[in-house]
Amino acid sequence: MLNYLRLELLQVLRDRYYLFFALALPVAFYLLWSSIFSSDRLDPVTGLPSSVDIMVSMASYGALGATLMSTGVRLAAERRSGWLRQLRVTPLTPTTVIVVKTLAAMSLGLPAVVLVGLASVLWQGVRLDPLQWVAITALLWVGTLPFAALGTLIGSLAGPDAAQPITLGAYFGLAVAGGMWVPLSVLPQVVRDVAAGLPSTRFAELGRAVAAGHAPPVSAGLVLAAWTVALGVLAVVAYRRAW
Amino acid sequence: MDAINVEGVAKRYGPVRAIEHASLRVPAGQVVAVLGPNGAGKSTLIGMMLGLVAPDAGQVELLGQTPAEAAARGLVGAMIQQGELVPNLTVREVVGFVRGLYPESMPLDEVLELAGLTDLARRRTGRLSGGQTQRVRFAMAVAGAPRILVLDEPTAALDVEARRAFWMAIRRYAEGGRTVLFATHHLEEADENADRVVVVSRGRIVADATPAEIKRRAGGRTVRFRLGDQPAVGLEGLPQVTAVEVGGGFVTLHTADPDTVVASLYSTGLTIRDLEITTPALEDAFISLTAGGPAC
Repeated sequence: MLNYLRLELLQVLRDRYYLFFALALPVAFYLLWSSIFSSDRLDPVTGLPSSVDIMVSMASYGALGATLMSTGVRLAAERRSGWLRQLRVTPLTPTTVIVVKTLAAMSLGLPAVVLVGLASVLWQGVRLDPLQWVAITALLWVGTLPFAALGTLIGSLAGPDAAQPITLGAYFGLAVAGGMWVPLSVLPQVVRDVAAGLPSTRFAELGRAVAAGHAPPVSAGLVLAAWTVALGVLAVVAYRRAW
Repeated sequence: MDAINVEGVAKRYGPVRAIEHASLRVPAGQVVAVLGPNGAGKSTLIGMMLGLVAPDAGQVELLGQTPAEAAARGLVGAMIQQGELVPNLTVREVVGFVRGLYPESMPLDEVLELAGLTDLARRRTGRLSGGQTQRVRFAMAVAGAPRILVLDEPTAALDVEARRAFWMAIRRYAEGGRTVLFATHHLEEADENADRVVVVSRGRIVADATPAEIKRRAGGRTVRFRLGDQPAVGLEGLPQVTAVEVGGGFVTLHTADPDTVVASLYSTGLTIRDLEITTPALEDAFISLTAGGPAC
């Protein structure tokens, strides 16, 4: 099981697209946006200074992307290429495969969280309590669970050609509506109302609350848990059919 | 207990009957070839043996267990058709990973050596040729030292040299009393490497015998040589000759037993030049093997 986890992680960590989309892009966006917005400006919705607000946004954005891409696109490709069939004739069980893939996908979001955090410290001099850093990292790890389920669902249903655009669509849609690309305060009220029900908004909210020195709101946890259960059930059903 | 026991399996894909009621028992230690033209149902049959394809009827047991149980216990290794490797890993990492899944696997270096991959161990999977990829897939199939090895057209992407090396590796693997079942559409491959040949045609097992017996039944081999100006008189009277064709200075004798024909040829007093013995194209062999079966 650990061997398989290692294999899954290695494959993605050596992937240029992963390095670009899940690591370089969030860090670059952080450097760009945090330079444009003055760091004294407090965001009217979150009440956080821009440098911190954007840090949470970009960390969430990176984690979201890494999790979605490493499940949806890869699973679809492995179904097409025959790799999954090959695994079926080994002692590896379908449960181990899906558990490992989920764990790997969640963990592949961590490098973005760490790197964006580091960039915020070095570039904008963001200072948070060590416990806050730990809590943000941990929450942005656990919080990717519904996205891992969504990716698995896409990867189990769609072929590799369709999985790529569907995953990218979900990725950008969730990122924008979740206030990761532009501050929530800039979005129209209607979008913000809808976005309150989305897992990506609540996912970023976990980090924002901790960065602001609060406990993460219960409502965010509930929304994320509901999405995890709903998408998780669908993903397991779809995956069992695809296996 | 048989290594492989296929009992009355059948599989349909819509209106197409891929396999109709096939049964097959393979005792442990046998090397069996499943021979048939493309589309005969070989891959479906193998898919059912491995638990990759659910049969509509009948059942499969591997060492007394269902295919899924046998796979979970590491009793089976397989090389299936169309199995690309995952990218961004080295040969050593991929083979080592699969090896680690089995309870009683071979040492990794031994696996790499057997598959001829020692020099490629550090190469990334994306940078391998078709033949090299095939060898990696073979290494994955044997890495766990499974008691049953199933190979679906294992030499499809290999050139002649690589094929020979491949079959040597298979024979080495089978020497330990392991059971090997492979699919092929090359009669020679079945003949040279199997103890037993099971011929599949249009979803049915139409013959199941030793390679020699299969070749005899396939019949229609030819002995051909340069006749020049010599008369062809009396050749049709040679033992085992079924037909004689003369043309372009060559004579072609049709027979099921070329050894006997060649032996008797030299007693005819003819000068024999450019002697050739040919095995018929597989399609011809299948026509003779499946004659009397359902019409196309």
